[in-house]
Order: sequence, then structure tokens, then C-alpha cells
Amino acid sequence: MKKNILFSALALAILWLTWMLLYFLIGNDYVLPSFWETVAAMGRLFTDVSFWRAFGNTFLRTLEAFALAVVLGSLLAALACVSDGLRAFFAPIVSVLRTVPTMAIILLLLLWTSHAVAPVIVSLLVLFPAFYAAMLAALDEVRAEYGLVARAFRVSRGKKIFGLYFPLAAPSVLGQTGPILSMGLKITVSGEVLAQTYRSLGGMMQDAQLSLEIPRLLALTILVIVLGFVLEGLFALLGKLVVRWRA
Amino acid sequence: MRLKDVGKTYGDRTVLSHIDLEFEEGKITAVLGESGAGKTTLLNILSGMTSHDGTVEGRGTSSYLFQQAKLLPHLTVEQNLAFVLKKEDRGKISPMLERVGLRGKETRLPGTLSGGECQRVAIARAFLFPHDVLLMDEPFSSLDLALKRSLIELVVSLWKERHETIVFVTHDVHEAALLSHRAIVLKGGRMLGNFPVDGDLPRNFFEAHPVERSLVAALTEGIGESDEGADRAR
Repeated sequence: MKKNILFSALALAILWLTWMLLYFLIGNDYVLPSFWETVAAMGRLFTDVSFWRAFGNTFLRTLEAFALAVVLGSLLAALACVSDGLRAFFAPIVSVLRTVPTMAIILLLLLWTSHAVAPVIVSLLVLFPAFYAAMLAALDEVRAEYGLVARAFRVSRGKKIFGLYFPLAAPSVLGQTGPILSMGLKITVSGEVLAQTYRSLGGMMQDAQLSLEIPRLLALTILVIVLGFVLEGLFALLGKLVVRWRA
Repeated sequence: MRLKDVGKTYGDRTVLSHIDLEFEEGKITAVLGESGAGKTTLLNILSGMTSHDGTVEGRGTSSYLFQQAKLLPHLTVEQNLAFVLKKEDRGKISPMLERVGLRGKETRLPGTLSGGECQRVAIARAFLFPHDVLLMDEPFSSLDLALKRSLIELVVSLWKERHETIVFVTHDVHEAALLSHRAIVLKGGRMLGNFPVDGDLPRNFFEAHPVERSLVAALTEGIGESDEGADRAR
């Protein structure tokens, strides 16, 4: 454990040194600002009320897309798990959604919806296939292990799904939820940048880029990355806690 | 329950063929055979979980005891039993847990129980679930000798209280002789022998039953001694 922390710290130190080196090599603050300037910009963001408002809005949009993906993905995966016909029916739809070019679709979404809603939908379009695949794989695993028990004791379909399949699939799905949610955050922010969503992290990034506030842009980017890490870590911990509670 | 010319094929592969058999009510029948003999397929046909050729007459409801306990890891012992029971039958849980020696472990999760205790919960579940026939798929095969003995004694004592119809699959000749009134020998999907196993239950775990010699002969040489299945084999 201590060794792993040491390696992670080493990786961060290498990243930091690379930044410092590149900064001295490039020597242009508009291309790559200094590390300390970026830290100062980050400090200014923390004391800026508009940043927290934007942060809250972006986070809520991510959660909205994620919640919809969880509900839709769980429902359809459960149906696919108990019916081979429905599994075959959903397969091409999910494949199409997985390959949809998100940046192109957001331009269409901007025509059809608002600047605030488009990032949520585009995030949902990315998160849903990912969550569906994770949930279906976990449910299939549970079915292989306990499907015969459910059949032998003639457990009703509803009880089988909600009392057996979902609870047993939960630890495996929770383990993958962090990376999916983190990906959702990145897609939402990308969507906001393209849609120039008002009062959002993506919108703030777009403003910073237009006004050539590169340290602020970089600070916002780093904060999104850190938030993604935190979300992944939280869900990984949650997954471990569930597994430990079951043991 | 009576099987008439029952068979099962998966594509070109015949798993069971021409099985004619009657299971005596209130008795224990052992289905003996090596791996791939069609034993588990026969159980699945009896339970109605697998389609088949031929007819099964008088198939009632069945309960199942698996080789592994297959308890649900997120539910306590009591909840595992309640999960397969209707509300009106849940009052039977407590006496049954006492009967199988698990009193005081109602709130334990399966992960905190020993292998033997888990199998006891599975036995309780199998006996509690309403059924006309209890199907057991090699329930003692992965257990050590002492545990096997105690669980066989438990099943025999539960059977003596209820006189249920039990069909159990095994590849262990001694196990079949210890715990059955009749032993069927399957080989390559065909029935090679149908042997009555004399004597009252329970039987002495440490003594070989005379039928064991015939069962071994049937399994290794394909020689049956009795009844129509053996005649067909000849």
C-alpha cells in the first residue's frame, strides 16, 4: 500500500517536472502558463462565487445524465437479462448509441433543445451504453451462478430481478460506476464548452479561452480532472465497502 | 412418478435415451453414474426445467438440493429460507433451523458460516420448499468424510419424519447404498441397472452394503443384475 502511494507520488512529481521543463522550453505564458500562476488562478477560483455556482450546475447536469443512464441502463439490462429476444432487440440500438459522434450530435441537440439541456443529453448518450454494458455483464454473471436456484425454487420474475439479480450485481457495477460517472463529467463539460452553456464549468472554460486567461483555463481543467478522480475513488470505496459488508 | 421412453438430445449428442422408470412414492432413489452419464439431465427433466422426448407421468412440484449450497450471499440464513417461501410458510423456518442444528444462526450471513453449516441451510431450504419430490444433485460429493456422514444422517432423519419421495444423483456407490431404497445405474445416457437396496434407514456408515458389489459391477463392467433396465443392457 505504502509502495503504491510512493509510485503515485512519483508519477505526480514527474508530471510536475515535465510541466516545469516544458514551461522553460516554450517560454510563452499564452501557450503554457507557469505552474505557480495556475495555482494562483485556482486559488482565485475558489473564492469566486460564480465558480461555485458553475461547479454546482455542471455537477448537477452530470448527476442528471448519470441518474437517467442508471435508471434506463438498469431497466433495459434487466429486461435483456431475462429475455433473449429483448437482448437481441436492444443490441443494435446500444451499438448505434455507442458509436454516435458526440460532438456532432451536440450541434443537432443545440438546434432541438437549450444550451443547458444539450450537455445532459449528450452525456446520457455516452453514459447509457456504458452503464447498460456494465449492468448486463454483472447480471449475466449472477444469472450463471444463481439462475438455476431461481428456477428450481420458482422465484417470481420481479423477486428474481429485484431480490436476487440487482443486489448481487451491485458490487461489480459499483466498481465500474466511478469511471463511468467520471467520464460523464468530462462529456458534460465538453458539451458545455461546445454549447457555451451559461454558468457552467464548460462555459467558464470557453470564456477563459476567449479572453486568453490561460492559467484560469488550465486551473479549471485540472479541477475537472481532480473531481473525476474523487468521484472514481468514492465509488471504488463504496464498492469495497459493499463487498466487505457481504463477506 | 413414471418415466416412459424418456430421452434427451442436444443437437447430435444424445444425453439420455429410452429411460423407462418408476419412482416409488415415499422412497429414496439413487441415480448412480459417472460424469456425463446423464444424471443431472435426468434430475432437470424430473424438475421440469429441461425439455425432453417421451413422457413423464405424475410429475409434481419439486424442490432442489444442489452440490454447492448456493445460498444468496446478501441474505441472512433466515432470509435465505424466507426468499423461496410464501408468507404463510415462513412460520416453519424457525423449527426447521432448530431441526438442522442452526438455532441461533438465523441472522448470520452465509459468508460467516462454515461449508457444513451452509449445506445445512441448503438442506433446510430444500425440505421447507413445498414439494412432491425432492431432487438432490450430488449434495455430499464435495464434503469431507465426517461432514458427509453427519449430513447423510441429517437427510435420513428428516426423511424418516416425513417419508418424502427423494431422487438423488451421485457417483459414489457407498453413498447410494447408504441412502436409498433403489439405485439406478446410468452409463452413456442409458439405464444399465435398477437395483433394490434392502434394509431400513438409517444404515451403518462404516459397513459396505451387499448391493455395492452389484453397483460397482454395473458401473465398471456394464453388468446389471435386475429389472428391465439391466435386461435392456444385456
